[in-house]
Amino acid sequence: MSKTILRFLTALSMACPALAAPDAQALLRQSDAVRNGWPSYAVRVKITNFEAGKSDEQDLFEVYQKGTEKTYVEFLSPRDKGRHLLMLGDDMWIYLPDTSRPIRITPLERLSGNASNGDVARTNYAIDYDAVYLRSETAGGAECHVLELTARRKGATYRRILYWLRATDARPVKAEFFLASGKYIKSATFDEYQEVGGRMLLRRFTIYDQIRKNSHSVMEYSGFAPRNLPDRIFHQGRSDRF
Amino acid sequence: MLLALAFLLIADEPAPPEPQSETRFALSVTDEGAWAAGLRVPGPETGNLLLIQPSFSWRDGQRWRFSTSLAGVVDTQSETHAQLRVRETYLGFTTGDLDFSAGKRILRWGTGYAFTATGVLDPPLSAIDPTDRLNLREGREMVTAEWVQGRHALTAAWASAGLLQEHQPGMRETVAFRYNTLLAGFDTSLIVAHDRGRTTFTGANFTRVFGEAVEVHGEFAHGDTSAVLLGGKYTMRSGFGTIFEFYAPGSGRRYAFLRAAKSRLRELPGWKEWDVAASLVANLGDRSRILVLDVTRRMGNHLSFYGHAQAPSGKKWQSEYGMIPYAALVSAGFRVQL
Repeated sequence: MSKTILRFLTALSMACPALAAPDAQALLRQSDAVRNGWPSYAVRVKITNFEAGKSDEQDLFEVYQKGTEKTYVEFLSPRDKGRHLLMLGDDMWIYLPDTSRPIRITPLERLSGNASNGDVARTNYAIDYDAVYLRSETAGGAECHVLELTARRKGATYRRILYWLRATDARPVKAEFFLASGKYIKSATFDEYQEVGGRMLLRRFTIYDQIRKNSHSVMEYSGFAPRNLPDRIFHQGRSDRF
Repeated sequence: MLLALAFLLIADEPAPPEPQSETRFALSVTDEGAWAAGLRVPGPETGNLLLIQPSFSWRDGQRWRFSTSLAGVVDTQSETHAQLRVRETYLGFTTGDLDFSAGKRILRWGTGYAFTATGVLDPPLSAIDPTDRLNLREGREMVTAEWVQGRHALTAAWASAGLLQEHQPGMRETVAFRYNTLLAGFDTSLIVAHDRGRTTFTGANFTRVFGEAVEVHGEFAHGDTSAVLLGGKYTMRSGFGTIFEFYAPGSGRRYAFLRAAKSRLRELPGWKEWDVAASLVANLGDRSRILVLDVTRRMGNHLSFYGHAQAPSGKKWQSEYGMIPYAALVSAGFRVQL
């Protein structure tokens, strides 16, 4: 009897691919598209930090991204003007206006702040993480696929991410972020999307600090636009930064 | 399948060109009071420094660039002196893979944090103030040509000994070349330079990150003397970072630098806006040293308060840091940034 049931289930799963677990890596690639609209683009990112529900500071960035390996971030908020951040794959440099030179920074230095440098500059999860399909469940009022992402390279900002993607279009709904020690440090909700040039892109998401529970950051994206960015602006040795 | 096809079609769309013109402007006003304790020479024990520092950059697409950074300095000790310093003012032009620039600009080729052996065109670096906390260092008048292709960048520079700027003693006309590349994670530069009337200088430097927490850098140079710099940085999970450097500039001199710092004390309730740093610079030859402490408190997006203290020690008048004519220097100030 049990053999018959097993044969029936095997036949059913082969005949009906919808019942098989979805391809987690393909879902991840699809979800990356709503955070990276074009192969080469610019976007303005505003981060508002909240402490005990009160807004206490704002940061503004211009982000230039080319492909999945090259990101260049210009800091625009008054106290950080003149700073630039360059990420080339796993390698990362920060340019300070008072030293006019690139300072090599370690992966751990990416993690500072509620919204870290990595949260701003590292948005192609399919490149940084291996995805495994865990289950499907309801989150944020939508039926979601739940993926477990494990860092595949040292450039990844987090060691592990639990990622909820809306089943209908793989749009991110929420995420939980973990360190190598297993510590649960941040969570995020993907709150708003916007249509830009005929495609749906992320407009706002919120990062909650799971260590200091009364602290959260809202990241808002605006001015998404494709840009023809020359390779030379992503070279670590180039003297000109603006 | 259709989604994947749609994504590929989207991905192949040609990107429009850069916006025609972009500008950046920043203004910083700093006021700092300083007190010297245990002064060993006649002179004022207190002073005040007011700095007004505007900067402006303009870019026309990816072709033309102009950048200027000025500093208005009003220094009050027993008397008041005012001066305008031009930190940078240069024009840049790009054609193909080539960048050209002409004017006064700050160029830094060294990889050291507190010392440099290969920074042939760098503004003078002080281990006591490696980050130039008041942003007062000035560039050199120079013409540069830089070719960037893939992983490789080649720079040629000619720097004057002082055409429009005040001539500084010891400054000579310099011709310098640098090749920079990223190879197996090593950000590496080879440098050749010639100061008029001196021995040709050759040097190399590198930085490399190992694992999640360690950065290592080094510089090697040979000219009139040989110099070596080795250093590293270790970052803890808490965000606490330490930098160590050993520097042998030649002629038997040796220095060590140690810095421990934490930006944003997020773990302590109410201390998120505080940055703290402590540095120790030691001349290993004469055993003199100087301890430097820095504390910054940010107040929102435009205002910050800071404190800075230095305490030199060593054989008085017979050692490098023992020559500093005070027992301690404490300064405190505020900065408004727009």
